[in-house]
Amino acid sequence: MRKYFLILLALILFLTLFSGCARKAEEAAGPVTIEVWFHSGKGEEREVLDAQVEEFNNMQNEIRVEAIRLPEGSYNEQVSAAALAGDLPDLLDFDGPYVYNYCWAEHLIPLDDYISAEMRADLLPSIVEQGTYGGKLYALGTFDSGLSIWANKAYLDKAGVRVPAGLDDAWNLQEFNQALAKLQALPEVEFAIDFKMNYGQGEWYSYGFSPIVQSFGGDLIDRSDYQSAAGVLNGPEAVAALEWFQSLFEKGYASILPAGDDDFYGSKKAALAFVGHWMWGPHSQNLGSDLVLLPMPDLGKGAATGMGSWCWGITSQSENPEATWKFLSYLMQPSQILFMTNANGAVPARKSALAKSKLYGAGAPLEIFAQQLEGGVAVPRPITPAYPTITSAFAEAIQNVVTGADVKAELDKAVGRIDQDIEDNKGYPITQ
Amino acid sequence: MEAARARKKTTGSSGLQKQRRQEGRTAWLFSAPALLLLTVFLVAPFLMAFAFAFTNQRLIPNPNLPTEFIGLRNFLRLLMDTTFYRALSNNFIFAAVVVPIQTAFALALAMLVNRKVRYVNLFRTIYFSPVVTTMVVVSIVWFFLFNPGEGFINQALKFLTFGRARPLDWLRSPRLAFPAIMFFSVWQGVGFQMIIFLAGLQDIPAELYEAAQVDGAGSWRRFASVTLPQLRNTTIFVVVATTILAFKLFTQVWVLTRGGPQNATMTTIVMLYRQGFQELRVGYASSIAVLFFLIVLVISLMQRLFLREGRDT
Repeated sequence: MRKYFLILLALILFLTLFSGCARKAEEAAGPVTIEVWFHSGKGEEREVLDAQVEEFNNMQNEIRVEAIRLPEGSYNEQVSAAALAGDLPDLLDFDGPYVYNYCWAEHLIPLDDYISAEMRADLLPSIVEQGTYGGKLYALGTFDSGLSIWANKAYLDKAGVRVPAGLDDAWNLQEFNQALAKLQALPEVEFAIDFKMNYGQGEWYSYGFSPIVQSFGGDLIDRSDYQSAAGVLNGPEAVAALEWFQSLFEKGYASILPAGDDDFYGSKKAALAFVGHWMWGPHSQNLGSDLVLLPMPDLGKGAATGMGSWCWGITSQSENPEATWKFLSYLMQPSQILFMTNANGAVPARKSALAKSKLYGAGAPLEIFAQQLEGGVAVPRPITPAYPTITSAFAEAIQNVVTGADVKAELDKAVGRIDQDIEDNKGYPITQ
Repeated sequence: MEAARARKKTTGSSGLQKQRRQEGRTAWLFSAPALLLLTVFLVAPFLMAFAFAFTNQRLIPNPNLPTEFIGLRNFLRLLMDTTFYRALSNNFIFAAVVVPIQTAFALALAMLVNRKVRYVNLFRTIYFSPVVTTMVVVSIVWFFLFNPGEGFINQALKFLTFGRARPLDWLRSPRLAFPAIMFFSVWQGVGFQMIIFLAGLQDIPAELYEAAQVDGAGSWRRFASVTLPQLRNTTIFVVVATTILAFKLFTQVWVLTRGGPQNATMTTIVMLYRQGFQELRVGYASSIAVLFFLIVLVISLMQRLFLREGRDT
């Protein structure tokens, strides 16, 4: 009995082994297979990408794309674990500035040899700026993001607050402060501005609030060589920026713990909303013609806003970078970009697509976002492998500052953490 | 006669030895898969963590910047890291609050469902169901229950106080977040302890209760003098197991608050995960693991010392 069992077991083992080999052989004879990973984000993005993969696989038979969706919540962690194990796919998408660690560690290949001059010239400057590390282009996003202040026009009119016509006559700090005070005085308004603190301590804090520091003249790190944050993140400008930010919460203009997401567009407790393009849907559906998008105010040293979103990179482990590029350039076609951005509402990454966009083209409701990206108002998050530490240190400082901590002490602490990380990694040297 | 007996004895024992050897081989054979898996997934990572703790190993290794041995630097930094102390003290607070409450509550539940009443199995199943449901799923359900606006808990509070209670933001208030997680954890874990206590209760001979009753003991006296002493070993097991689980606290915190707000719910394992997987410092995360292992080891040894199990029941 036992003997039969053993023989059976051995047989099963051999069969599975051979079937595995047979399948491998089959693959080699057929089309080139490339593996693609992407974060399982918003439903619309997922559906579009699934449709694109299917269409790409159907329209030619040399390349087969096998796309795998990974949950967004732990996407970064899963990708870095795969990098440590040497098991990255051919193509994958990265969450904005998290890509620089992979560029630095040579897990990605430069795309300069693949990209056509025509495509490069057509890209939004923000897309090139963020995809470039150490002078080489490593990553391409099919869309970018926009951040500014949305307003409820009914409240602005009632409080007698001026609506800027464009980027050139955006509010300055004084006017912004006056607008906040006037709006706060309205009986219907509980909070003059909603900073979306309900998103919680995380990437939102860095994406959303580092532009405030930059508009005051500070920054997250000294960008000349990315070696230190000292004097920049804890300099007088940055301290002034966050003391001003803190005062908005102390004066009751903004809530640290909004009851929900809809203070601006649902309950209309808030007159302004400091948030990105992704709220266009709920904002426009609920406020209708009362909704206006304002350009980012100039808080002293020029207006600044956020940029950046998910971007694609080809890994150095890819055995078929040529085929992988073909798929990536398919995703970067203006029509495909529009297919994606019409679904998820983001800013198209190419100027030719932008011009055709119903949301971002000339005269379109969200044109300000595109102007901010093209006009140099938007600032990329620091282009350095130290970014995970920078964002975590800055977000912690913001969280403590809005709850009343001493600004200078918090920023000194953040600078200490950032500089230590850079020092531990010997300044993140680029060897080329 | 003597010789024959002696011979018989030797052949007997050599047969026994042979049988023992064979049994030993079979035992190794049977435990081989488990041992292999334990080595690969438990022993090896543990030894690796020990080695990494003395290096600056990055999660995304750079070929141009090889991992270096840095001596005790990770540990020295850890000892000056205020987040680490916050995380550690949260673990201790959690254990100090949850272990006694959960144990007492589990015992009470076990006594309740130990009666011979109708549908008792239904109640046992209901109390046990949170334990068999995946922690992530239960955590997400509680995320909705804790919702500041329409969440069940706020609505219930409002109802119970006749509308006087203002809605509380359970998970985003630094004051409430950790108590909320403790409350939820007691609810989630109590069923498991209940089942163990139930087994312990059913092991107590009925004669003891009968004898106590004959001696004139009331129900409280029977509980204090029969039930509790008889449950000594069960209680020790429950306390030790709950303590270890309390120190491993991660999943519900990660789903509900990720250690925030302002580190109010930071635990050692959450900090370890954040350092290792989000800030890419595997070396530093390993040093947290090693130091934490030593702390938990000392606690377990102390518990064993003070709560020696009685073998004479």
